[in-house]
Amino acid sequence: MAPAESLDAGLPTRETLESLYVVDADVHVHEDPAELAEYAEPPWDVALREIAKVEERYLDLPAISPRAEFRIPWPGGSNRPQTVTSPAAMRRELDQLHVDVAVLFPDHLLSLAMVRDPGFAVGLARAYNDWLADRWLRHEPTLLGSVVIPPQNPAAGAAEIRKHADNPSYVCAYLPASGLKTLYGHEQYDPVFDAAQETGLPVAIHSVEAVYPVFPFQLEQFRTALAVHSLAHPLAMVANLVSMLETGVPVRFPDLGVAFMEAGTGWVPWIANRLDKEYVERRREVPLLQERPSTYMRRFFYGTQPIEEPQTRTDIVKLFELFDGENTAMFASDWPHHDFDHTQFVFGLPFSPAVRRKIMGLNAARFFDLDVPA
Amino acid sequence: MSREPSEHAVGTLADLPPGSSRVVRAGGRELGLFNIRGKVHAIPNLCPHQRGPLCTGGVSGTIDYGPHTGWQLAWIWEDEVVTCPWHSLEFHIPTGRCVAFEDIRLRTYEVRVSDSGELTVVI
Repeated sequence: MAPAESLDAGLPTRETLESLYVVDADVHVHEDPAELAEYAEPPWDVALREIAKVEERYLDLPAISPRAEFRIPWPGGSNRPQTVTSPAAMRRELDQLHVDVAVLFPDHLLSLAMVRDPGFAVGLARAYNDWLADRWLRHEPTLLGSVVIPPQNPAAGAAEIRKHADNPSYVCAYLPASGLKTLYGHEQYDPVFDAAQETGLPVAIHSVEAVYPVFPFQLEQFRTALAVHSLAHPLAMVANLVSMLETGVPVRFPDLGVAFMEAGTGWVPWIANRLDKEYVERRREVPLLQERPSTYMRRFFYGTQPIEEPQTRTDIVKLFELFDGENTAMFASDWPHHDFDHTQFVFGLPFSPAVRRKIMGLNAARFFDLDVPA
Repeated sequence: MSREPSEHAVGTLADLPPGSSRVVRAGGRELGLFNIRGKVHAIPNLCPHQRGPLCTGGVSGTIDYGPHTGWQLAWIWEDEVVTCPWHSLEFHIPTGRCVAFEDIRLRTYEVRVSDSGELTVVI
């Protein structure tokens, strides 16, 4: 029998979360309206100072993210603070999650697509992008930014991409999906995708729970957040993905990176199979697509959070196999929001070590074009 | 062969008035102590969902429906339910029962109070 040491030769040491390269593709900063006012162009700075006088509630602020809250306020519930207001605090909290690098998305501007005054929407996006660069990104190199795009004005969004693309801390553009009046497949967004493709910034579509009179947010007949939250996120992703495939976005912008965030991934194989089935019969309607829709979907990326929690733990591995999650899924915690996934939990799922390394960091490094430490 | 239970000092009753809770270390574990109307209960400070710090969560009652409410929607277990601060999974402190999933039950620990008000937890 061989000596014990030779049996171990060549085997990697047991990987721990601490030793693994972890990219968190979705964490949220809190954009205080008074701080945004300092970066806003007139007259929006005046409005933001007025908004700052109102006491904030979770993702609920007048004019920016007003929420018609019909949830019944029983006593109790989570008492955890769900905002992070400084890069130092974010770094501390992400250290506890063993996150090496994180991509920042906003809090209130998750609702940007529902802001009715397009001038204000553009003003908010511009102020946020300047504020993030100045107050967060330049202070902490492991915190990376997403350029907020106001869907109300794609030309202004394209200009924001071009303005910030040279800042290496900006690694993607964020497309708000909640309450979006025109889905992202529409040609009106071509300037955004042109700018993103040209500058090499991928786009990340991100939604938030909302009840709003546009598809798929007309959810007023449901009584509970359980229903609305279950449906709004994945259906928003399905709607935008189908829209983008129907107009051939991945064909018209072949070098554009696209990610779908915060909807879990259970919907991905469902819509892929559905679209492939339809494609057999209706290819003439989508002549730009040269291949099955699922082929293009495997070029997209998908945030893991909120990761499915099947009772049989190995089912998560089967799910990821159904959409090539090994190569397309990016760990996302959604810290500090109510349904965040802990790094340790996702790390502990029964993926092989090689697959786990990709999901926890390497796929995101490809999507966001990050240097992976040796 | 089971280990003999041992008692571990975890502070005084004076520091844990009714309606309050505290996280303590005892016997290599982290436990939450809850004073519910004068009786002290102890459960692990570890949520079985994603391993959150369960006992740092808020304490309240909860709304439920079933044989225990006479099949009426009812607010029950006032001051007896802790909600995990991470993802809001609820536990009935005196029994350790997870409200959402009956098959999940946390271990509960006996807490003894001496005549002088010293608290010890039996592990």
